[in-house]
Amino acid sequence: MYAFDYHQPKSVDEAAQMLGAKPEPKLLAGGMSLLPTLKLRLAQYTDLVDLSAIDSIKGIERDGDALVIGAMTRHVEVATSDTVKRAIPALTTLAGGIGDPLVRNRGTMGGSIANADPAADYPSAVLGLGATVITDKRQIAGDDFFKGLFETALEPGEIVMAVRYPVPLQAAYIKYPNPASRFALVGVFVARTAAGVRVAVTGAGPCVFRLTDAEALLAKNFSAAALENFTVKPDGLNADIHATAEYRAHAVAVMLKRAVAAAGGNT
Amino acid sequence: MPVVTMTVNGEARSAEVEGRTLLVEFLRNHLGLTGTHVGCDTTQCGCCTVHVNGVAIKSCTALAVALDGAAVTTIEGLAQNGKLHPMQEAFREHHALQCGFCTPGMIMSAIDMVRRNGHALDERTVRKQLEGNICRCTGYHNIVTAVQAGAAAMKGQ
Amino acid sequence: MSHAASGEGIGQPIRRREDMRLITGKGQFSDDMNLPGQTYAVFLRAPHAHARIGAIDTAAALKMPGVLAVLTGKDLLADGLKPIPHTPLLAHPAEIIPENTDGTPVFTAPHYPLATDKVRFVGEAVAIVVATSIAAAKDGAEAIAIDYEPLPAVTDTVAAAAPDAPQLWDQHSNVALDARLGDAAATAAAFKRAAHVVKFKTWVQRITGVPMEPRAALSEYDPQTKRYMLHAGSGGAVRLKNDLATVLGVPSDDVRVLMYDVGGNFGTRGMIYPEFAAVAWAARRVGKPVKWLCERHEAFLCDYQGRDLAVEAELALDRDGTFLAMRGSNIGNAGAHTTNFSPLQKGVEIASSIYRMPAADFRARAVLSNTAPTRPYRSAGRPEVMYVMERLIDLACRDFGFDRVEIRRRNLIAPSELPYTNPFGMTYDSGHYREVMDRALKEGDWDGFPARRAEARARGKYRGIAVANYVDTATGQPRERTDITIRRDGVIDVVIGTVSNGQGHETTFAQCINEWFAVPVDKVNIITHDTDIVKVGGGTHSGRGMRLASYVMKIASDEIVEKGKRIAAHLLQAKPAEIDFTDGHFRVTGSNRSVGLFEVAAAALDQSDLPGELRGPLTATCDKVVKEAAFPYGAHVCEVEIDPVMGNVEIVKYTTVDDVGRAVNPMIIHGQTHGGIAQGVGQALLEHCAYNAADGQLMSGSFMDYAMPRADDFPFFDTFISEVPMPSHPLGIRPAGEGGTCPALAVTVNAIVDALADLGVRHVEMPATPERIWRAINGKKDVSIAKAEG
Repeated sequence: MYAFDYHQPKSVDEAAQMLGAKPEPKLLAGGMSLLPTLKLRLAQYTDLVDLSAIDSIKGIERDGDALVIGAMTRHVEVATSDTVKRAIPALTTLAGGIGDPLVRNRGTMGGSIANADPAADYPSAVLGLGATVITDKRQIAGDDFFKGLFETALEPGEIVMAVRYPVPLQAAYIKYPNPASRFALVGVFVARTAAGVRVAVTGAGPCVFRLTDAEALLAKNFSAAALENFTVKPDGLNADIHATAEYRAHAVAVMLKRAVAAAGGNT
Repeated sequence: MPVVTMTVNGEARSAEVEGRTLLVEFLRNHLGLTGTHVGCDTTQCGCCTVHVNGVAIKSCTALAVALDGAAVTTIEGLAQNGKLHPMQEAFREHHALQCGFCTPGMIMSAIDMVRRNGHALDERTVRKQLEGNICRCTGYHNIVTAVQAGAAAMKGQ
Repeated sequence: MSHAASGEGIGQPIRRREDMRLITGKGQFSDDMNLPGQTYAVFLRAPHAHARIGAIDTAAALKMPGVLAVLTGKDLLADGLKPIPHTPLLAHPAEIIPENTDGTPVFTAPHYPLATDKVRFVGEAVAIVVATSIAAAKDGAEAIAIDYEPLPAVTDTVAAAAPDAPQLWDQHSNVALDARLGDAAATAAAFKRAAHVVKFKTWVQRITGVPMEPRAALSEYDPQTKRYMLHAGSGGAVRLKNDLATVLGVPSDDVRVLMYDVGGNFGTRGMIYPEFAAVAWAARRVGKPVKWLCERHEAFLCDYQGRDLAVEAELALDRDGTFLAMRGSNIGNAGAHTTNFSPLQKGVEIASSIYRMPAADFRARAVLSNTAPTRPYRSAGRPEVMYVMERLIDLACRDFGFDRVEIRRRNLIAPSELPYTNPFGMTYDSGHYREVMDRALKEGDWDGFPARRAEARARGKYRGIAVANYVDTATGQPRERTDITIRRDGVIDVVIGTVSNGQGHETTFAQCINEWFAVPVDKVNIITHDTDIVKVGGGTHSGRGMRLASYVMKIASDEIVEKGKRIAAHLLQAKPAEIDFTDGHFRVTGSNRSVGLFEVAAAALDQSDLPGELRGPLTATCDKVVKEAAFPYGAHVCEVEIDPVMGNVEIVKYTTVDDVGRAVNPMIIHGQTHGGIAQGVGQALLEHCAYNAADGQLMSGSFMDYAMPRADDFPFFDTFISEVPMPSHPLGIRPAGEGGTCPALAVTVNAIVDALADLGVRHVEMPATPERIWRAINGKKDVSIAKAEG
């Protein structure tokens, strides 16, 4: 690691001030992605601003027709929360499958979405549920949040405080893990909400994306049967030593069908 | 440089560290607790697992300075008054280690598994929950057996 | 016998002595050692797979805060350091030594600790930076500027052997060895008259050892005594000492190597590494202790790797399925240096396994490529050829309708035919091959399989089963030595030249001593860690740890008993011939007069009335060259279940019967089998050191991309031990460490292909990833195989 100064603000305002005052600052959430990156000297910052002492951005709350999860809520808390399980069991599954138990004890939701790893799980929930990302400056629609490979709509100095997930009528997340990293080789989040059906895919492309043609089919008939002849084109999907784009395309279609079945779609 | 103080294995320990000093470096280099090992640089092998405030984490992926005031238990702190922890005893009894390098992390991780899942652990749960700990010697066979036995033995604790 | 009473002798599954420190965090691994005033080394590594090194500018690096020294290949040559003394072929008396067919000597290239003229693989060390901290040393390394002239690179095994391939060494083509073994004329004749011929082309992919303890080194130079101290884990202390002395250009006694706990080896940690020598040299240059820790991403780049064998093979059969001959070509990818060809050598010489094979004809080539050097990895060379033989058999069954069990029974060598010399010239000494296979089939419930297959099919899953046999020639360094001393305080010191890398020598060697002297194992002191005490020894590899340690310990122990009898005879006023040694006591036969072992040791030290040759410490040395190879063998049965939609494989049942001759500690042997299976199945399903063919970059450079087997990749294994004593070993012991891996590649892939046979699948290359299986099921071309075929 390159040297940096460490800060542990007690409030979001204090953190925002620090971000504004330092030459090359970086927010530290759970650190599960950032610290390995720093250890390998793949990035360099003058200051790390640790959000772990800010209680106001932790916790899980049911707020009417939505579930609001604080940015610094750890994966284990989401995976074991009764509130989450009652409202959006797909999130229970998703959070319970991130990394490994030790990573889940430390990693946070906000860190995951701000990092926008193309194979991370949480971005598929934000997009798949049409969630709203609440920052210290504004609210960003899930559809507008993820911009590309490790790229989000967040501006420099902007801090994710929480994500507001609408409670869906039905939803499920199915992950097909990479055998080495155990990240998503492909992960599919499907949800039937009051606003319609949404399908979000992670792991398969440079950035989480929606599968609108599948959404259209499922809007008419939310069942695996509706997808019987559904296929995904490999164009533009990731290809690496673990899988070709062709196999990922196949996996997206299969995981989608399995997700719809898991969500309790009509059969 | 900041000074951090933690309660490590029941004792207050302080040291001056850099912002970038990892918890595992604090334990190994500053405190001489070399039972916690480093086996990778991508937060996957689990050799560095310790308990922070009662919860198992990978100490290679936590800054020491961020844990000022924490209570840390390492493999050196498990045995009490010369008596092995039941999970340590189970690893020995069931030959769950060969080279022994991953073992401290495995044991710390296994104890946390019991905290999360209780004392009656089926094979599938143990295998799944060991996802964050890699062993190259044992094929995991005896580790799984030991974790199940250790979990049951911890019930009497 | 007291050993029976205490339950600690040979054959007892006693718990390990070394565990107490390892489960309490008190192990002493290489990175746990520190010296006052130590400094830290970091290596700058090649970013190119192949490039000529131009100017190196270290000025900026030397100005970085905390940097004490920056040393390059040029400095190393100026200081007169020598290349690493590799001996690529095993010269063990029982080995077949391949020679170039054109009569030229086998090519060996100089492997310096730092690259001097060119870099030949991504990650090769180019400079060492020493500083007051690791971070400062990294800062220094980043400030070094090197002019590289990139050159075309080749990483693929078959492509590297082509005449027009980019050439790594100016003085020789990439083909360092090109030999032919067997009898070409007899083989050609057999193929001509064969009713059936089956062909198989494959690439046994490159994988790496991944001992969980990354390498580390701590070195200090004492200018007063002119001695180097190196603390670094390896497969053997004495060999590391001698090799280090050679590289440093000093007498071997000027080097002291220390190692306590070693966190895994599996062959890839088996010998000196360039960094070890560079660290020792740097310690002298900076005048301070130097410590180096290999980070995991570096380990993926520059630890020695394993396997990587391209094979084309054919098997000729008679109408009834009797094997007539085999022929083919094996190309082993040595990587960038002529480090070790023994996997090629050890593979081809037993390519016919334990089947009756009247004739064989194989070409064996070792090729250089722009990849990390390879060396033996668990069971070096044998899992590769067992895989080929067993695949050939199953393919023959499929193509010509033979039963997979019957054809094996028909061709397995019978006990009455042993010793049997195979068509390459290796002589197998003993074994009940068919009996062991039949036991594996029974324990694996082969007969009940059709019902399980039908049940799985009803669930939409495809179940397959396979059986594979193996033989493993164990040779390695033939010389081993022990010095055993009976101390008056009730302790027995055993100095021996092996090193435990996790095998539990402190326990099992002590069990042997307990067997012979009836001393509790806790009173046996196994000393292996310090070359100032251990002067001779071949280390731990090739199934030689217990095999050779027990061999020399038995001889030395017998000598101590004989000497003890003569001392006891004096003490008890009897004739030596009248003294028995049982239960730790020397007794006058037919009387109750006796004296204990340790009393005899004390008397030898104290009593001046003993004859001169009996006075002094009660000690014996055995320093022996064991010329015989050992032949562990066995059979595995694997059962898999495949999801045809995604291609996922689940190992649902895995059964082994391994003949170890005599089991010293069955608990430890079962454990080694478990680990061996995981390493073999890991290769079959998951692992792969993937190089980009275009630029030679390693694409599997961390656990993010190198798929390590995890706990949820396996079921519990059903392991069984067979004990048919090996005639050439005084205790009948065969090695036990490699049996788990040897047939695992073969039996796993054969089970997968069996599962998919109804879907028309004929073969799946390793690693048999879900995508590969899915492609095979759907008749899609395996892109990776096409690449391997060049």
